[in-house]
Amino acid sequence: MYSINVENLTKKFGDFTAVDHINFKVKKGEIFGFLGANGAGKTTAMKMMCGLLLPTSGNAIIAGYDMHTQSKQIRKNIGYMSQKFSLYNDLSIFENMQLFGTIYGIPRKELKDRIYASLKELKIDNIANSLVDSIPLGWKQRVAFATAILHRPQIVFLDEPTSGVDPIVRREFWNLIYETASTGITIFVTTHYMDEAEYCSRISIMSNGQLKLIGTPDDLKHRMGVESIDEVFVKFVQR
Amino acid sequence: MILKKEFIHILRDKITLLLVLAMPIALVLLLGFTISTEIRNARISVYDLSKDSYSKELVEKIIASGYFQVVSFPETESEIDRDFKNKNVKMAIIIPSNFEQLLEKEKFVTLQIISDVSDLNVASILNNYLRSVISDFEMDYNQSSTGALPFEITTKMQYNPESSSVYMFVPGIITLIMIIITALMSSITISREMETGTMRMLLITPVKKIYVVVGKVIPYMMLSFISTIFIILISVFVFKMPIEGNIGLLLFVCIIFMLASASFGLMISALVKSQLEAMMVTMMGLFLPTVLLSGFLFPLDNMPFVFQLLADVFPAKWFVILLKDVMIKGSGFREIWLYILILFVMAIVLITISLMQIDKRRKK
Repeated sequence: MYSINVENLTKKFGDFTAVDHINFKVKKGEIFGFLGANGAGKTTAMKMMCGLLLPTSGNAIIAGYDMHTQSKQIRKNIGYMSQKFSLYNDLSIFENMQLFGTIYGIPRKELKDRIYASLKELKIDNIANSLVDSIPLGWKQRVAFATAILHRPQIVFLDEPTSGVDPIVRREFWNLIYETASTGITIFVTTHYMDEAEYCSRISIMSNGQLKLIGTPDDLKHRMGVESIDEVFVKFVQR
Repeated sequence: MILKKEFIHILRDKITLLLVLAMPIALVLLLGFTISTEIRNARISVYDLSKDSYSKELVEKIIASGYFQVVSFPETESEIDRDFKNKNVKMAIIIPSNFEQLLEKEKFVTLQIISDVSDLNVASILNNYLRSVISDFEMDYNQSSTGALPFEITTKMQYNPESSSVYMFVPGIITLIMIIITALMSSITISREMETGTMRMLLITPVKKIYVVVGKVIPYMMLSFISTIFIILISVFVFKMPIEGNIGLLLFVCIIFMLASASFGLMISALVKSQLEAMMVTMMGLFLPTVLLSGFLFPLDNMPFVFQLLADVFPAKWFVILLKDVMIKGSGFREIWLYILILFVMAIVLITISLMQIDKRRKK
């Protein structure tokens, strides 16, 4: 059972091919790391999977729904979070979660319970009514993540979720990701931190719009004959 | 839900709220009391060469009119010149010597009027006032003397009998305020979400794009509607402006215009990339044409044909016509449906273009 099944997905902007016939499959409950240098085509590929962009050609089955014909069902069944693009600063934590929860059609009563349950889990239920603007970045990211999985999606897309925070907060954030994955939610994550890539079940590396490498972190290290994913990446980019 | 969220945004942003609600009121009051085409107590000097009873009577009449205030009686011609420069005199009247004699015997008098035309408007208004005072004087004189036919000048002022300037600019202010709040705010609010990326969050959710847009724009439409009501109340109760037509129709016309200007804002936000850009484009592309081409400050009939055509494209011109018709002339729906239709069609076209534009972004 695959959560994501991408087939020959291609996106052209004029003459420029941003994503060039990529193919991959992601299993349910997997933490799939999507790596690549800036401009390699990661974001474009992710935008297509989230239904923000239409592909030039190729197809993908996301959460069991066809990208071309069932984009509305896909939207209902995915969550999205990004470090840069996340929450409304002038709304409180609770209001932010309430807004997105309502948009996803969670009944009012249940929504309230879910919000408090997830805030309790994050140990921040005491500041539910603080404005997002006033809380530290690390907390914002956790709130954003909690918001993205509030409607219990099958897949959650994380676009560089941890950029700009210190290693301890990052480690805590990854604990959260592990917990979420263990409940059966598929995690699709892009990152620039190679130590984070080591935490993934499988990773892929994109370059010039093509998917060049895919496999478990150990497998890739083995193939390239190096000790860490960092070296894999550097070696790969230099080639 | 997005609607509720947008209301919270607005309420949290106290400065904007204050600006949006207080600015129109301040603007109307300010303009109402300052921009006035009426001039009272204009400073003039009278160079009276004859100083007889008739000339004194004329001067008294001029003063009694209330429009003028005689600040000096120069004794020489060079003093007149000095008055213009030193005493800020707007006009000088030179009454020839032998005024009485000329009136009695020759039946022909030439008064010389010297005007300061550095402000053309003031000069021409004063000129008109003076002319009417003089013709009054002429009438009195004719009646009291030999019974020669008194000539008569009657001007009927229609729709704005007091020539009150408030009538002229209230429709303009309403138009401006609505453009600022609805078009500017809705283009800014949408481009702000594009900039911060929260728009992407919203577009990923299953919510339809049109709901996102409508939810964002409606609160601003309501705000500008409230402002409009304030402006109308002020103009009616403070400046005694009449509403000849149906109030319901007036408000309906306002809503249609809000729709058109919100769609303008929407289209702008669909074309630009940042808040700043949205603000600039709205200011240059909508605000200026509204001021210059809506016909409330500068008459459209005098403009070159190209500009008249250009004015047709912007909703403001039609709205100003509608406001004047409904408020001052008291027109009903039957007389103005065409203008309403024009605004409505504009709104539909603009909304369609912007939704297509947003869609194009996805396909691009």
